[in-house]
Amino acid sequence: MEDRPHKAHRPSQSGAKAEKKKEKGKEKQHGFNEKAFAPRSGRRAEKQGRRAAERDQTRLHVPLVNRTPDDLPPPVVVAIVGPPGVGKTTLMKSLVRRYTKQTLNEVKGPVTVVSGKKKRITFIECNNDLNSMIDVGKVADLVLLMIDGSYGFEMETFEFLNILQSHGFPKVIGILSHLDLIKKAATLRATKKALKKRFWTEIYQGAKLFYLSGVLNGRYPDTEILNLSRFIGVMKFRPLVFRNSHPYLLADRLEDLTPREEIRKSNGTCDRTVTVYGYLRGTNLRMGTKVHIPGVGDLEMKSVSMLGDPCPLPDADSEKRRKLSEKKKLLIHAPMSDVGGVVYDKDAVYINVPGSFTRGNTDVPQGEGERMVMDLQDVRSTLEDRVSRSQIKLFGSSSKPLEAGPSRLPDQYGDEEDEEDEDMDEEEGSDDEEEDGWSEMDEEDELDFDGVEDEAAEEGADQGRKTLRKVNRDRERGMWTSHQGREVDYADSDSDLGEVGDEDEGFQGFGSRRVHFDDDEDAVDIQSDDDVDALSDGEEAPQWKSDLASKALLSYQQHSKRAQRKDWIKLIYSSSLTPEQILSEDPSNDVVDSAKPTDDDFFTIKSEAAIGNEDHDDDRSKPTLNEEDFKEWEEEELLDSIRGLFITGSSNETAEGEGDYEDMEGGGDFEDLEAGDNTEKAPVDPEAARAAELAAKKEALKKKFDEQYDDPDGSKMDFYDEKKDEIARQLQINRAEFEDVDPEQRALVEGYRPGTYVRIELANVPCEMIENFDPTYPIVVGGLLPAEERFGFVQVRIKRHRWFTRTLKTNDPLIFSLGWRRFQTIPIYSLDDHSIRMRMLKYTPEHMHCYATFYGPVSLPNTGFCAFNSLSNTAPGFRVSATGVVLDIDRSSKIVKKLKLTGVPYKIYKNTAFVKDMFNSALEVAKFEGANIRTVSGIRGQVKKALAKPDGAFRATFEDKVLMSDIIFLRAWYSIQPRKFYNPVTSLLLSDKGEWKGMRLTGQVRREEGLKTPLDVNSTYKKVERQPRRFNPLKIPKKLQAALPYASKPKIMKPQNRQTYMQKRAVVMEPEEKKAVALLQQIKALRKDQVARRREKQDERKAAHRAKVAKEEAKKDEKDKEKRKEYMRVAGMKSKREQEKEEGGRSRKRHKKD
Amino acid sequence: MTSTATSSILSFSGHQYLRHRLVLSILSAKTVKIDKIRSDDKNPGLRDYEVSLLRLLERVTNGTVIEISVTGTAILLKPGIIAGGAVTHECPLSRSIGYFLEPLIMLAPFAKKPLNLTLKGITTDDQDLSADLIRTVTLPHLQLFGISEGLELRIRKRGSPPLGGGEVQFLCPIVKQAKTLNFVEPGKIKRIRGIAHAVRISPQFSNRMIEASRSVLNRYIPDIYLYSDVYKGEDSGKSPGYALSLLAESTTGAIHCAEATSKPGTAPEDIALLASRALLVEVRRGGCVDRQHQTVVLMMMVLGSEDVGKCRMGEPTPRTIQFLRDVRDTFGTSFKIVPADSSSPGTVELIYSCYGTGYVNANRSLA
Repeated sequence: MEDRPHKAHRPSQSGAKAEKKKEKGKEKQHGFNEKAFAPRSGRRAEKQGRRAAERDQTRLHVPLVNRTPDDLPPPVVVAIVGPPGVGKTTLMKSLVRRYTKQTLNEVKGPVTVVSGKKKRITFIECNNDLNSMIDVGKVADLVLLMIDGSYGFEMETFEFLNILQSHGFPKVIGILSHLDLIKKAATLRATKKALKKRFWTEIYQGAKLFYLSGVLNGRYPDTEILNLSRFIGVMKFRPLVFRNSHPYLLADRLEDLTPREEIRKSNGTCDRTVTVYGYLRGTNLRMGTKVHIPGVGDLEMKSVSMLGDPCPLPDADSEKRRKLSEKKKLLIHAPMSDVGGVVYDKDAVYINVPGSFTRGNTDVPQGEGERMVMDLQDVRSTLEDRVSRSQIKLFGSSSKPLEAGPSRLPDQYGDEEDEEDEDMDEEEGSDDEEEDGWSEMDEEDELDFDGVEDEAAEEGADQGRKTLRKVNRDRERGMWTSHQGREVDYADSDSDLGEVGDEDEGFQGFGSRRVHFDDDEDAVDIQSDDDVDALSDGEEAPQWKSDLASKALLSYQQHSKRAQRKDWIKLIYSSSLTPEQILSEDPSNDVVDSAKPTDDDFFTIKSEAAIGNEDHDDDRSKPTLNEEDFKEWEEEELLDSIRGLFITGSSNETAEGEGDYEDMEGGGDFEDLEAGDNTEKAPVDPEAARAAELAAKKEALKKKFDEQYDDPDGSKMDFYDEKKDEIARQLQINRAEFEDVDPEQRALVEGYRPGTYVRIELANVPCEMIENFDPTYPIVVGGLLPAEERFGFVQVRIKRHRWFTRTLKTNDPLIFSLGWRRFQTIPIYSLDDHSIRMRMLKYTPEHMHCYATFYGPVSLPNTGFCAFNSLSNTAPGFRVSATGVVLDIDRSSKIVKKLKLTGVPYKIYKNTAFVKDMFNSALEVAKFEGANIRTVSGIRGQVKKALAKPDGAFRATFEDKVLMSDIIFLRAWYSIQPRKFYNPVTSLLLSDKGEWKGMRLTGQVRREEGLKTPLDVNSTYKKVERQPRRFNPLKIPKKLQAALPYASKPKIMKPQNRQTYMQKRAVVMEPEEKKAVALLQQIKALRKDQVARRREKQDERKAAHRAKVAKEEAKKDEKDKEKRKEYMRVAGMKSKREQEKEEGGRSRKRHKKD
Repeated sequence: MTSTATSSILSFSGHQYLRHRLVLSILSAKTVKIDKIRSDDKNPGLRDYEVSLLRLLERVTNGTVIEISVTGTAILLKPGIIAGGAVTHECPLSRSIGYFLEPLIMLAPFAKKPLNLTLKGITTDDQDLSADLIRTVTLPHLQLFGISEGLELRIRKRGSPPLGGGEVQFLCPIVKQAKTLNFVEPGKIKRIRGIAHAVRISPQFSNRMIEASRSVLNRYIPDIYLYSDVYKGEDSGKSPGYALSLLAESTTGAIHCAEATSKPGTAPEDIALLASRALLVEVRRGGCVDRQHQTVVLMMMVLGSEDVGKCRMGEPTPRTIQFLRDVRDTFGTSFKIVPADSSSPGTVELIYSCYGTGYVNANRSLA
């Protein structure tokens, strides 16, 4: 019943309903009044036009290729980020519940759900560790940034936003939670407004901000979550440049494949073989690329295999039967969480079973894990028993069936695989029901199955992991088997031999034997033996000459026929033939050679011969021209045969010319061979071909005419559309090219495409990654470009973050997050000095970009990065210390610092001076001959030549006479290289992942070790003692003085020795006068006294006032203190409450387990 | 469906295909180790021109470490970055300039600075592509990949074997990324061009060659221009010699070329006929790229953006086959090679398509 196709809906063509519909449409048309929107004036029209054009331009972005396939895109990574206690897990649970109707108890690691017909989402929760935030920022497509509405923004939020900014900004939706804690409506409104404003300045004006009110039943209100999910659903993503050029994977599962025995022997310290599972994203992942796991390091991919999609999109079939598949559609894939009763850990699988392990409890719906456990109980006999009872024969010829021995034979692989396959089938089947059992999973026990304990069950799975894990979705398996069949055909050259041998017989039947490849260059020369004989025998041979051309043409055609039938890909990539053998006419002999090269004496002799013939194996690009090879071209017939390849020749000339040859071949063995080979297209009927060609030509002409006639401007696109069109066309080609190739070949040619679920096997993984595995820390597997694997000096443009309080110092270690990597290295800061040199800076400048050069793994220019001084959670303040972009990559750096050499003159002639104390030897001087020098007073000069006497002294000339007291200096530039220090941040290897310790500063080390800073005596500052300079008085000879003009004569006066007129006189006052003076004196004295008294009074007043003010101040301080106390008390209570809440949750959980 | 990894150090053996192996190593930044270089030969080890090539590569790059074993039968090359800039190199007289120029043509577009390379030595011989062919055929092939502005080869002086004395200047711009090629229409031959040159002998020789060549080619097409390139005095090198290089260009821009050089005791007419017939052979082979340039084009296709590049070519030469294998080892890129459904069933035309590696010129600086 179900699979019968439903009838399509047919709208009624007549009747009341149709009338109604028609009217409705018309009405709408009617309502639109065009005039209403017409501009009223020309000016306005122009304005509107301009505005529209401007708005149109804002729509445009630089066209970028989206490497993610449209048909089966990988799930969108939605990261939930925020400070602890803000409600991340609650949001995650609510969203998962919304999409899958399942409640997760414990959310760990990524959770993938199907969110729509063509859309899946991987949710990941990011903890508060800075390392996690960096990694998540690099892979998230959408960030749900949670902010505690009752508290406001926290430092981590801003740090995270800065990390996002430097690694390409993914989409961000802000979510305010804990809004129910704000009781007053007015405060709530104000808070929302303030937070929104801040959020907008941080992201962009109009960024989406969601408000979540309180928690109901441990989840956010359903309507709010529904709204949020709708916003997530319609989110469009623009490809980010870095992710669009690197393959990457967010591991949702991790497995340790190292043999147990090895781990046991090495006490768990041996390097592990690990597989990670996840959806590929970014670009195609090819074999041979190295991968980097941030927090672990660079790793080699041992193998990659495509697995069936654990969370497949609803296909067309299930879409049709929407009602039935409603449940099926609600798929969830979260291996590290507890979905379906199964939790995958690094080395074990935990299965939750409700109630007890009793059978017959059939009314309880069973999940995948429970079923597995129940099935295990069915086993009545050991594996050994079963094998001994079985009748499996390894080979058809073996007389005895397989026996169970004490040790496992490698030959047993086959059935092991089968067993595993069966397991997988079961998993497959139970997949469908997995959600059924899941609502009742609240009070179950956790049962720990250790792989070692349960041998019978685990052996197959445990050991089988050494081979590839094949998950067999039906589709996949079909391909797998078919591919395997072919692999056998071609991997062995023996079987190849058989096949080609058949072909060869066919050719021999045709009549002419080929000259084999005795001479390497003879691949072109394909004359038959008879011809060769004839050539060497005599010149006469008219009949030879007559059909030379046709023979040549014929042989050429045969050659090319054969060449066309070759499977070039297999021959080149999966055979061990030498290039010459591939090209040689008859591969059968060569295959014999290459099949058993060890016991074939002939082969070795031949290679010796080749060595003697030196010309042939040289790396030469031009083929040797042998005149004999071109003899055939003397024939007119042959010359005419290629006329069709020139524009002057008619198009079908060659076709016709070849036509009759084909007829000739028709009788031979060619026909059936061709029929057998279906890659070869059937020979075309020349008539039909001509007709098709004509039709195509007509079509093209018609199209051209239409284009010109209909819309002369229509074909003209602007730059933007042209580019977009070009990109679309190329993507179309990409899709079409490998559509029909089988998946294995396809992966070989173009790599594993994004959207596929893969399993990557990594070798030599540090054991700490497994030992200290914590699913709450994301594992990102980032593919590296070939250039990124190597090390070098990286020059970056860097700017200290304005919120970072300290300046950055050259040669201080800094932690970079660049590309996929996080590493500590030692940068040297520099600035471009007049475009002449890169001059070292001791400190980063304020509010300005500068350059930094460091040694480390290179990244492509234009990659953004951010830098940190410390990643630890206890570091105070803002932790992002700098941001920037990569500019240049090199193997050497050109940074210089200034070096001033000083010396003093010890002998001065006019403009020449002998300088000492600058160099130590004549050799050093020789190196600096001709260098510019300068005195402190600014007289410029040049180093001339070393002097013999004091070592290192030299003669120098100046533009003026220097003084003995001058200091002479030479300004030189000393080049420095950054230290080759690279220390990857291996945070995932630690048991306490936040506590990674890198290289410390010298001061830090001294402080921690309690060492004193060594003090160099010469480096201490001492008081500078400056002798006052004494100048001798200027003496001018008498004679010269006499000759000087008056103005220049020194005018030296003797002090006056006669008494002046006033000095000679004594003053006697009249009595009247005396009285007046006395009175004046008294008045002045009175006044003085008055002023003094007044001042005293004023001081008193001032003192009183000051005392009053001080008193008031003290009162105010008291009040402030009280206020602060109150605030801190409230904050403390809040934090305590939060802590309690967290602990409470934990303790509640603990209770449940008990 | 599993594929296994390739290690980051490449090892090859044998002296053959040395050039493209070195190029692949430098471009992919993978260390290469080549051993058994003529280890069974009477004269074992590297030849002088191979050592000279290594030296040239060291000069063009920055940070390259080359270690040659005592016997010279093994080398280890740790590639640095391609620096470019002005470089002058004296080529030994055992090989012509083409031997040195070919690998550099593949490297130069991905250098840090535009390459300005002056090579001195033999410009034309019978083993490698002559300077003329590189100028007229190889460089236009690079233009298919968007490497065009400022791409130039100047033949300052000609030099014939054995004494040489020629000089060429190769200018190559840098690009961020090679464009993806989609070249499947071979078109029809619309013009034939040629350069005949004769140095230190009578200029009449080149005219005789032109005439002889025209006698073969005139039947096909009227648009034939064969230039007689004359170099005098100092510019004509130290030894006498003459050669004719021909190229045929199709309507879609596909170029086929052939060349023949003077041999003692051969008439210039015979040389011309040889060249013309070799050209016809090339033309008959079909495809959009001729035999000599298969590796250059395939290399650039591999380095293209992460899109599917397609090119129609004839049967691969042994060099090309080995090149394809080596590319698989270094870049992990395999080609899909299928027969082209050509209208004329007589020719072996194959469509080579690959998924570009998205190679970006990491050496190019932004500052």
